[in-house]
Amino acid sequence: MNKIINLTKFFLKTAFSNMNTKLGMPSRKNKIISKILYLILFLYLTTIIVLFSSGMVESLKIINQQEIFIGLILLLVTTFCVIQTIFSSINIFYFTKDNEYILPLPLKPYEIILARTNVLILTEYIITALIGFIPLVVYGIITNMGISYYLLMFILLILVPVLPILLVSIIVMIIMSFAKITKNKNKFQLIATILVLAIVIGISLSTTKLQDNVTNEQLANMLVEANGMVDLLKGYFPTLDYAIVSLTSDSSYVALFEVLKILILTIIGTFAYIFIAQKIYFKGLVGNLFSSSKRKTVKIDEKKYKDSRLYKSYIAKEFKCLIRNPIFFLQCLLPAVLIPILMIALVVLEMKNYNTSLINEQLKSFNTNTYIIACVILSVIQFFSMFIYISITAISRDGKNAVFMKYIPVSLYKQYIYKCIPNILMGTITTIISIVTANIILHLDIIMIVLLFILSTIINIVNSIILIIIDLKRPKLEWDSEYAVVKQNFNLIFPMLTSMATILIIALSGIFMANINVYVGIIILTLIFIVILYFVNMYLYKNQNNLANKIM
Amino acid sequence: MIEIKNVSKSYIKGKKSVDNLNLDIKDGEIFGFLGPNGAGKTTTIRMITGILDIDEGDILIDGMSIKTSPLEAKKKFGFVPDSPDMFLKLKGIEYLNFMADIYEISKEKRLKKIEEITKKFEIYDELNNQIQSYSHGMRQKIVICGALLSEPKNWILDEPMTGLDPKSSFDLKEMMKSHAKSGKTVFFSTHVLEVAEKLCDRVGIINNGKLVFVGTFEQLKERFKEEGTLEELFLEITEK
Repeated sequence: MNKIINLTKFFLKTAFSNMNTKLGMPSRKNKIISKILYLILFLYLTTIIVLFSSGMVESLKIINQQEIFIGLILLLVTTFCVIQTIFSSINIFYFTKDNEYILPLPLKPYEIILARTNVLILTEYIITALIGFIPLVVYGIITNMGISYYLLMFILLILVPVLPILLVSIIVMIIMSFAKITKNKNKFQLIATILVLAIVIGISLSTTKLQDNVTNEQLANMLVEANGMVDLLKGYFPTLDYAIVSLTSDSSYVALFEVLKILILTIIGTFAYIFIAQKIYFKGLVGNLFSSSKRKTVKIDEKKYKDSRLYKSYIAKEFKCLIRNPIFFLQCLLPAVLIPILMIALVVLEMKNYNTSLINEQLKSFNTNTYIIACVILSVIQFFSMFIYISITAISRDGKNAVFMKYIPVSLYKQYIYKCIPNILMGTITTIISIVTANIILHLDIIMIVLLFILSTIINIVNSIILIIIDLKRPKLEWDSEYAVVKQNFNLIFPMLTSMATILIIALSGIFMANINVYVGIIILTLIFIVILYFVNMYLYKNQNNLANKIM
Repeated sequence: MIEIKNVSKSYIKGKKSVDNLNLDIKDGEIFGFLGPNGAGKTTTIRMITGILDIDEGDILIDGMSIKTSPLEAKKKFGFVPDSPDMFLKLKGIEYLNFMADIYEISKEKRLKKIEEITKKFEIYDELNNQIQSYSHGMRQKIVICGALLSEPKNWILDEPMTGLDPKSSFDLKEMMKSHAKSGKTVFFSTHVLEVAEKLCDRVGIINNGKLVFVGTFEQLKERFKEEGTLEELFLEITEK
């Protein structure tokens, strides 16, 4: 047991010792400033979550359906844990460099497996605390819950994520056990992650299908019955059902019994996990460690010697380094396309379950050509943009080789802009997907579409530049595994913050210009962002050399 | 020609990592830069190449100041850093094309030059593979090829022999000699004293940020009147 705890501590220390949480020079004054800044950041995030949660609980309370909030939060926690595990488990189990040092040590297989799994689960608890703990505390306060609610909630938030994480990890291990037979490690890692993603989405879609059988009559009954709608969220995952029942039950015996069920299932699940993992994990790990990509001797034809303009060559280099690196591809680039498509697909699928002709009729009578609608669409685009991690890692991804930028005869400003281009292009794809979907649902007019596209692109450029400035000021250049750049990097909170700040500006404009003509409103907002772009760009240009001071 | 004039650099206030360094590396010369770990070699190279800002003094490369005209100065040298693990996801040919684009080398010229250098270093047949699949020595070779592609007048190399096999090491040394013979400059840092002795026209020894010796090996032996080995001589200077 001690060995597992020590090994877990060691893995956690190596994973988080260089979280890039310091601001500037490690002087005492800066340490205090950084602590204050992080406190502000924490309070800012907490306030947003508290406001959002209280607003939602209060609204649901009016229609006597507040318990669905508990179900929604637990579902959100489970979903986030599953998605995070898909992306991080492959790296934690197979691609951390310390595997080569750990394997020869006199440790039992289950000790290594459990320590690695602990890291995975403990990392997920951070997100659980943010999106699970705070909202459920808010719910408890608003609905005047007793101490037993908080105790149960705490236990459940610890227990609920475990089984989904173990299940995804097993799927990952099964797929990775085929690593030995593959020649190209990088491509395999990429395919494996996409495969796990497809399997998990497939499983979740097949389970949600069970819900499709809810008739309109049943739906109406659920609405009438106090807290009846919470039943809609059942059937996604066994432990989730028990957790919902436990937290919403009036009887403390029922609540405890449900927790007991989850506990027993988790214990059984953990033993089954250890048993299966011991059989397959090391096969895949050894296969992955020692399978090398073969080099081909191919004669180069003259076409390969092509001279391009520098900007083309530089941007192509950035894209190649992003796409060919599975971790960077999956974490920085893929979400830009995948998240909007997935969310939109979910919305479209959900809409199918309801009376669409009714929605269409309602939409027809509703004037979609208003500034508020434009603000909503712009905010949705900004929400999706926060998952693009290209600019915020543009310098850090180069690691120690970022010095290359400083000794080649190309101005640093130009290089910063070239490094922003992939982020801007991926942001444009997100924008196009979102606007096309909005057009399908809301039937926007062409001028509005064009204006929205132009404004979103300008916002996209502004945010890309701001994010590269942040990465330049706080680069994470010392790393052993690419995973550290995209996961153990505090900078990744900034895309969310810039997107939230942008949404705030959009929302404020919506409040102050609610009744303005939609075209005039968008043009005014565009002008505001052009001014911001001018200042941000001037800052980057004038400080191009100072900004590179951390690269050495 | 590389001129280092009264150059100083501090990372921590009051402690100079490089202290009032003065050095002229003339055209047609191979200059070896020696010193123990932490002496200031890398800091000096980083200042010459523009990676680090200079606190005091200036560095001129063929008369161009790295401080005031950095882009022009950077066009005058080719640099090989100490770590060759760069752009691992690019294929060898992609990396060389990228370097050629940076230095605006025409298609015809790069075609000839890439073939010439990569064949010399025996990596021509590997150019279609990702650099990631190369051994340490091969990575070192591709980085050297990238630096030499633009035929820079000044070569600046940080520990260039590390990881090279004897044949490649020999080839690089021959290339350095022929480069200097044609009236150009080679400035490189090394820990291998024998390499410096056999290859360099002059050496500079830096210790605790200060230049403690500049001259030929003959002058070094003469000055310290020592009969010991080169290693003993080096230790004598740097431990004084």
